Amino acid sequence: MYLELARRNLQRAKTRSILAIVGIIIGVMAVASIGIFGNSMRQSVLERFEDLADTIIVSPKHSEGFTEIDEDDIKLIKKTSYIDYAIPVKDKREMVKYKDSKAFLTVYGIDEEDLKKLYEPYEGSIKLKGSAVVGYQLAEDFGLNLGSKLTVGGEQFKVAGILESQGISVGLSPDNAVFLSVEDFDKLFDRGYTSVVIQVESLDYIDTVEKSIDHAVNRRDEKVDIRDFESLIENIEASLSTMTQFLTAIAAISLLVAGVSILNIMLMSTMERTKEIGVMRAIGAFRETILRIFLLEALILGLIGSVVGAGMSLVGGYLIISMMGFTTSYILDLSSVFYVAEGFSVGILTAVASGLYPAWKASKLEPIEALRYE
Amino acid sequence: MKVIELIDVHKIYKTAYYEVHALSGVNLSVKKGEFVAIMGPSGSGKSTLLHLIGCLDKPTRGEVKISGIEISNLNDRELTKLRRDSIGFVFQQYNLIPTLTALENVELPLIFCGMNGGEREAKAKELLKQVGIEEVANRKPTELSGGQQQRVAIARALANNPTILLCDEPTGNLDTKSGEAVMKIIRELNKNEGVTVILVTHDPSLSDFADRVVNIRDGRIEVEDVS
Repeated sequence: MYLELARRNLQRAKTRSILAIVGIIIGVMAVASIGIFGNSMRQSVLERFEDLADTIIVSPKHSEGFTEIDEDDIKLIKKTSYIDYAIPVKDKREMVKYKDSKAFLTVYGIDEEDLKKLYEPYEGSIKLKGSAVVGYQLAEDFGLNLGSKLTVGGEQFKVAGILESQGISVGLSPDNAVFLSVEDFDKLFDRGYTSVVIQVESLDYIDTVEKSIDHAVNRRDEKVDIRDFESLIENIEASLSTMTQFLTAIAAISLLVAGVSILNIMLMSTMERTKEIGVMRAIGAFRETILRIFLLEALILGLIGSVVGAGMSLVGGYLIISMMGFTTSYILDLSSVFYVAEGFSVGILTAVASGLYPAWKASKLEPIEALRYE
Repeated sequence: MKVIELIDVHKIYKTAYYEVHALSGVNLSVKKGEFVAIMGPSGSGKSTLLHLIGCLDKPTRGEVKISGIEISNLNDRELTKLRRDSIGFVFQQYNLIPTLTALENVELPLIFCGMNGGEREAKAKELLKQVGIEEVANRKPTELSGGQQQRVAIARALANNPTILLCDEPTGNLDTKSGEAVMKIIRELNKNEGVTVILVTHDPSLSDFADRVVNIRDGRIEVEDVS
């Protein structure tokens, strides 16, 4: 009956109640949509990075005066347990020319089979005997096609393959690079191995593998740096979470405004219904009964607004994600549902919290004063 | 048996600039089943007296006893309980809750005392029948005439079987015919059910219904007429 009474009181000032509900809808939608967007963005960025998480890069320790990795050390690294592969790579910044285009680019010397393990060809095939494989961006920028003759360090190489675009990458930067066989690289440059790309069997073994390499290679001198990308991913995740929290906080302002509007509406309602409150108190309603009726009104507003807002946040989230160019596949993910639930709860909490003061005020009215009110 | 007893009751309203002595040393006793009319001009203190008897207010000085209970020492919750269980109010403006139907208005005090739905509805219907308006049970107050609204208010006042019925100008907003009908109902309740009635009015013709008339002026009881 109290619920029914609350419902009818809200119906009495229909437009006002609808406006309060609209406020909550907007607030809940903003908070939940931003949450869903942030979550989807985080998920899609992390998805790209997670492929790289089980990679370890070993490079010469420049601070100790080492510029190359010894062949013996590479053999030691390759013997390490729990690794799928260890790929030694040489690199050099060198002038690359094709027709009128020229630029200083990274030239890698790598074994053909190893390159196949790292990347897939977008066009052509990965063949490095007397030919070159180029990154996607370089092919785009220089207008390279299969068979184009590229000049590297004064020597010409036919383009046998163009790699797929990698975007985010660790260790090597293939999109703007030229890949040559180690033999061809050695003909052009007098340079040893500058890095080793290691694929670990599972993320669980990252620490073990790093320790093994450190133990094997750096026993006497600190010859190499060993880096993994776990902390990088953690940093990215933390930054994205902070950004989402910041955006959600901005969205929460709209909920705050909705709360103030409920506060205002309910204060007006308390004033308008002063005499009714007096009558109810006179015929036996306790203070807490009045408090309960007013809080129920706030709860109803919050509940309707939050249910509709939560539903609409999925649409809102979808629109924002689509507009920002991220994948929408995470919208119905369990982690997104959390943000919908968060928006829903915050919506209800805001409404009830906003109703607290008017409800308290109504319950504190002295029946005699309330009855005299005109 | 005295159901209402006022001993040297003073009520002073204080504002920032002045004091209003609404009641100055009022003594009054009402026995169970009595019908007392309190008459007096505007500002005489009759409404203040009614509010004190109705446990809506406490005296500044003196004692107000309802069914033997001194109200000055009661807290808000105890006063509310006393009102709920012992006192019925009938106001000049009817004061029905506009969002509720006639039946629901009568059910309201029963809700406040925790009666369950079925029992509540049956009792409310019975009360509406008692005041002769069971056919308008599902109408909202705005769909009722003044006389019907006042009957609903009487039914509501009777919901918790009060010992005292306080009527504040119950016919003030009604035409003569409706006013008479309402007064007859009140009188019958008093005669048949033994409800003690305190009637506050300007209208001297209503004093005919009362067993006793208490005249009040400037916060003091002047004369008591016993009919």
